[in-house]
Amino acid sequence: MQQSADTAAPAPARKADHRLFRGNLVALVVSLALVIGFFALATEHFWSLRNITNVLGQASILMCLTAGVAIVFISGEVDISVGSLVAAIAIPLIVIMNATGSLALGLGGALALGLLIGVVNGYLSVYLKINSLIVTLGTLFIIRGLVYLYTGKRAIADTVYLESFFQLGNGRLWGLIPYPALVAFALVGGLAVLMTQTRFGRKVYAVGGNAEVARLAGYNVRRIKFTCFVISSLAATVGGILLASRLGSAVHVAGLNYEFQAVAAAVLGGVSLAGGIGGLIGSALGVLILAFVSNGLGMMSAPTEWQLVITGAIIIAAVALDSAKRERA
Amino acid sequence: MSVTSDQSPTRQARGLSLGGLLRNEQIFLIILLAVLIVGLSLAAPRFMTAENATAILHQSAMVLIVAVGMTMLLITAEVDISVGASLAFASCVVMDVINTTSSLTLGILAGLAFGGGVGLFNGLVVTRLKVNSLIATIATMMILQGGVFLYTREAVQNHHQIEAFSLIATGYVGPVPVPVIIAALLAVVFYVMLNYTLIGRRVFAVGSNPKAARLSGLSPETIKLVAFVVTGILVGVAATILASLLNAGQPTAGRGFELIVIAAVLLGGTSLFGGKGTIAGTILGVLILKIIDNGIIILRWNQDLQIIVPGVVIILAMFLDQLRKGRTDG
Repeated sequence: MQQSADTAAPAPARKADHRLFRGNLVALVVSLALVIGFFALATEHFWSLRNITNVLGQASILMCLTAGVAIVFISGEVDISVGSLVAAIAIPLIVIMNATGSLALGLGGALALGLLIGVVNGYLSVYLKINSLIVTLGTLFIIRGLVYLYTGKRAIADTVYLESFFQLGNGRLWGLIPYPALVAFALVGGLAVLMTQTRFGRKVYAVGGNAEVARLAGYNVRRIKFTCFVISSLAATVGGILLASRLGSAVHVAGLNYEFQAVAAAVLGGVSLAGGIGGLIGSALGVLILAFVSNGLGMMSAPTEWQLVITGAIIIAAVALDSAKRERA
Repeated sequence: MSVTSDQSPTRQARGLSLGGLLRNEQIFLIILLAVLIVGLSLAAPRFMTAENATAILHQSAMVLIVAVGMTMLLITAEVDISVGASLAFASCVVMDVINTTSSLTLGILAGLAFGGGVGLFNGLVVTRLKVNSLIATIATMMILQGGVFLYTREAVQNHHQIEAFSLIATGYVGPVPVPVIIAALLAVVFYVMLNYTLIGRRVFAVGSNPKAARLSGLSPETIKLVAFVVTGILVGVAATILASLLNAGQPTAGRGFELIVIAAVLLGGTSLFGGKGTIAGTILGVLILKIIDNGIIILRWNQDLQIIVPGVVIILAMFLDQLRKGRTDG
């Protein structure tokens, strides 16, 4: 993260952001520790290896989505179509697997559809210059509608019961760490390296920070933003695959409202809607904080609706604190 | 919006950018509406009947009531995603208060107060805590969606049997349904307010250039706060109609309502970035989306198309808008 802050040089204000970045990560880690500590003391069953790893497994799907959404935010655009994408890509995955009995072909089908959605979002937003919030709001509707049309609003069950597919979402490494969590960590880690250690990542920060300056500096702004949309859709596809494996079917209502949760987690993790600010590690921590809060409240046998209420309150508090901090800086 | 020079952000901005550009936009929407109406009349004779026209207006009313507020809010460069969740919660509050007090007036006031209160909360979070309104209102949406279930697990049924209550949604004045009259009145009030009053000019000034507005002595925060509260109160109005229509307060109602409202407003030519928008455009946007809805039902198409078509329509409308702008700029 430091590197991106230093080398995305066009805007001189970067130095201040740099400090904020690190402060932000520390604050997030402390918050996460406080959340875990609180629930460990307040409830009986929260602090067990089983429960902690369970939460990691549950958070894995949103982690994948949030990583993609965060990258698009950093590039200065918005992608809220990911909730519908999650439901859509499960269809080729399950249908192809049922027809061919091959996990690889199913995964290929899912990734191909995810790629297509990313290309459409990116093309409309970047090359046809339609505001990306509107484009992805539109595709959010369109994709969900097509899923309903295709499935007739019924779940498509996995009928071949491939062990490998089941393990992908439900298995555990050494009987301990859920595979989906490993997949999500690997994805977030890989994308974090992409964003902080490569030229591409630095360009994304530069473009999101100030597209005009980046263009004058010779960056191909359109291609960079377009790539971000594709990355976001592919990351969400990975999340969708994990969800499909956990559900054992392609469910037409899967992923409803996930787009809002992903946006919320990314913002909680310090990603700015204005572009150019924030990082993937931060947004992953944002997902984990929300996931542990939600799990902990469940352990306190609070009605599940409290989770929504408290999540909303946390987001407002976090962003308000953040903007107060920025004003001082 | 580059025409909004430092000195006179109000008059000039609207004279130059809205006058020429928006008139074109609305002609485009009117043509689209006409094509839809002619096409559907030809395809389905049942479309062009008085009953169906009334039905379309009836369905448009609730969306329009909230959409006029949303138009004003978007002109100030803010947005409210929580209107759907607030609609559901407020409809439960209306029903509950009437049940307990047996007073229609108190129930309606409670609904308006609830909606206005949510608007006030959103407005304070956005203007005082400086939280981006998209994020703030997504958070409020979550709070309300969770909160409504903590408030009531199931629909709040009608236990009061006050006859006037059901007339709010189902009554007619002459041939016109009551909700349509309410929506039309509100649309006229907002049209006049935005176009012919000082408040309206301030709303545009704040949205098109907040810095200039501040320098000329306006408080963008106050105007935005008012826009949030007004939108919230309008949600209360719509919630009263909804409760009357369903004859219950339904905690699960209103899912996706926010997206329909925003889609209609954007389709009507209001800008996401503030400073630009009209009530006439919003009315056209609502009618177009609702006629498409109606057409899908009348043609007996698969109803899942009801969410696909609006998606296509907004993207297409924005694309055409972009093309036109490209031409005028170049």
